[in-house]
Amino acid sequence: MYAKEGPAKYISHLDLLRAFERAARRAGLPIAFTQGFNPHPKLSFAAPLAVGTAGEAEFADIEMTGNTSAEVVAKSLSEVMPEGLRLIEIRIVPESAPALMAMVERAAYTARAVIESPPEKEALEKAIAKFLAEPEILVERRSKTGEKRKYDIKPGIFAMSARINNDIIELEAQLKTGSSGNIRCEELIGAFIENSGLQVTGNFVLRRRALFSAGKTQQEMLW
Amino acid sequence: MDLLDQILPLVKKPARYTGGEWNAVRKDWEKTELKTVFAFPDVYEVGMSHLGLQILYNIVNCRTDALMERVFAPWPDMADMMRENGLPLFALESHRPVKDFDIAAFTLQYEMSFTNILYMLSLAGIPLRAEQRNEDDPLVIAGGPCAFNPEPAADFIDIFVIGEGEEVINELLDVVLACKRNKLEKKEILLKAAGVPGIYVPSLYNVFYGEDGSFLKIMPVCEEVPGRVTKRVVKDFDGTPFPVKPVVPSTEAVHDRMMIEVLRGCTRGCRFCQAGIIYRPVREKKPKTVLRQSAELVKNTGFDEISLTSLSTSDYSPVLDVIRSIANEHAGRGVNVSLPSLRADHFSVELAKEVQHVRRSSLTFAPEAGTQRLRDVINKGVTEEDLMDAANAAFKEGWKAVKLYFMIGLPTETENDVDGIVQLARSVLALGRKNGVPRGRLKVTVSVASFVPKAHTVFQWEPQELLGSLRKKQDDLSSKTRDKNLTLNYHDANLSFIEAVFARGDRRLGTVLVKAFELGCRFDGWSEYFNIEKWLEAFRLAGIDPDTYAYRRYNYDDPLPWDHIDAGVSKQYLILEHKRAMESIVTPDCRSGNCPGCGLCPALEIEPFYAGSDLNAQV
Repeated sequence: MYAKEGPAKYISHLDLLRAFERAARRAGLPIAFTQGFNPHPKLSFAAPLAVGTAGEAEFADIEMTGNTSAEVVAKSLSEVMPEGLRLIEIRIVPESAPALMAMVERAAYTARAVIESPPEKEALEKAIAKFLAEPEILVERRSKTGEKRKYDIKPGIFAMSARINNDIIELEAQLKTGSSGNIRCEELIGAFIENSGLQVTGNFVLRRRALFSAGKTQQEMLW
Repeated sequence: MDLLDQILPLVKKPARYTGGEWNAVRKDWEKTELKTVFAFPDVYEVGMSHLGLQILYNIVNCRTDALMERVFAPWPDMADMMRENGLPLFALESHRPVKDFDIAAFTLQYEMSFTNILYMLSLAGIPLRAEQRNEDDPLVIAGGPCAFNPEPAADFIDIFVIGEGEEVINELLDVVLACKRNKLEKKEILLKAAGVPGIYVPSLYNVFYGEDGSFLKIMPVCEEVPGRVTKRVVKDFDGTPFPVKPVVPSTEAVHDRMMIEVLRGCTRGCRFCQAGIIYRPVREKKPKTVLRQSAELVKNTGFDEISLTSLSTSDYSPVLDVIRSIANEHAGRGVNVSLPSLRADHFSVELAKEVQHVRRSSLTFAPEAGTQRLRDVINKGVTEEDLMDAANAAFKEGWKAVKLYFMIGLPTETENDVDGIVQLARSVLALGRKNGVPRGRLKVTVSVASFVPKAHTVFQWEPQELLGSLRKKQDDLSSKTRDKNLTLNYHDANLSFIEAVFARGDRRLGTVLVKAFELGCRFDGWSEYFNIEKWLEAFRLAGIDPDTYAYRRYNYDDPLPWDHIDAGVSKQYLILEHKRAMESIVTPDCRSGNCPGCGLCPALEIEPFYAGSDLNAQV
């Protein structure tokens, strides 16, 4: 588990792979490589993070060739991570453990922006209630061929709230995340701002707070 | 809310602008006396591939009294955002405005990056022309290969550094620091700096032109300023500080790998080549130094590839043993060795075999000219037999793609020579077929550049070939290379024309640069931004005819706008070489022991240094 913040939040997913590979090599860890003409390290992530969105508790699996203790990995790796990539916890998982990508089901986000003429608490709550009560919440997506199409994100919004702090609006949301039905936080924000008519100055600054899997009775942290 | 957080999500590749990379050095601003910023006039991915940046960054940051940060040319989308939001150009480490630094140090790698210097100064809020700047503005200094003809950029640069920077940078910083402590004005700093060997302060020189507008001479304004500035050369190349903890870019650089410089200089003496002159004499690094530095690089960076860089790595005496040794030592950690370019001979294919990484892609050879006669004119010591031998070996070893680099418009070139390019390419193609390379996978790529005469070279007196004539040759080549296994690339001849103007330009071109920048020229090395119409308009507005620069044939006794810069090679030698070129007489490699007499070693009191072919040679 690691955080991706500060300058590191602008590292793209592809570059993040390289950053971990290089850090592992600096740490002298015996990372496993794929076989073949163009070997690359066996590294997998729970869910790619959009460039510019900070992550407070992100997950990655790194496959090793030898037996190493979690303590050794944590110590050697944390010393060689670039600014903004911070290790939080290392666990050794068995080879049979399910892939992180298959486990992830939803993510919690916060989004902050400067708001012009901040509404009262009640008005804000009303705006959210109205938004969530819409029969469908359509956003525009582009297919692989570049065609625009409408997509309903409402089934993937699990929770949403907002508060005002001076001139800052802070939204919190839990959204469907993973290989199917994934919703980007920017899509939710765009739709909400349009629906509510609120005026913000500049852009929302996003953070992903947590990743959850679908537990037996309720959602759980991945670990 | 942080302004950068508002802007960065909206631009392409924001990691270009964040800093915070592994091995980046962030020093205490308040506690460090002298603040410098290395300014690379191209985008991050290009600048971060430049070894010179890492070398100077390491040297300056090893000092306790100085710091060096980095800044690159923001891509135009970012520049627009910065202007819109009133954000001045800032350095990556501290995010402080470039204007707050004591020194902004540009590198001049390529003539077509000159407009980006103006672009960066403008984004930094620093007046473009040195004479418009005041005491609060940073000292703008510049070095690199284009500093060997500094005049076209002279209006914008306070101090040029001529030659290798490792030693002179410290001497210059010492002078600036001492002046700063004594609260001296910029005028006095410049005068003191001009006394440092290898430093050229253009504002301390007057340029004289004849009534017909021709360049006459350039003279220092006072006695303390030297009439000629001699390039700096590092005598102990093996012992000079090398960056074994380079900054590891957070977004993929053009050369995204470890770089270890194994030799400096080149002994081959190609007559068109400027690098071959300005980096003389050849100095090799001892193999044990290379191995030690490679091990440190692997440990400190985590890259998966190590490149042995130089102007001609296959000439490095112990190259074979060094490659094997590095490969053996680091293969277990998934580290490959690579070579930047190869000579067209059998030995190079042997080398390439040792280097797994090259194997995957194509092999590149640079015969430069299509016929033996013309290769003799340019002193490219490669025969057709060498090339065929190399190509044959390459196909036998399993390569399926070969790239060939040529130039057109070389002095004395005829139609026959251009046809020679086609014939060579076809012969290589035939070899590939003969060796049984599957038709679907066989590929011969021919890249054709247009010759640009450069200052300080044997061909410095030669004109560039007329644009129309270059285009006709390009068209001829296109029509004669139609084959599904043959690909022809050529450079935009317009770009080579502007490059030729600046490569041999004088101080009057400063006005053209300002006009071009005002018309929107920047990133001129990028084909999507280069706009010949704007450039021609800039020349018109400045009242300068570019043809007189690109197409001028100088006589041997004509004064040259770069005569006050001494690259260490005597003019008599260049003249002799030029005459030999015109008679197609080759000059042997100085490595062979036959000194061609360029005059550099006695003039600079230095000698070539060879490491010996044995790995453990105690030289």
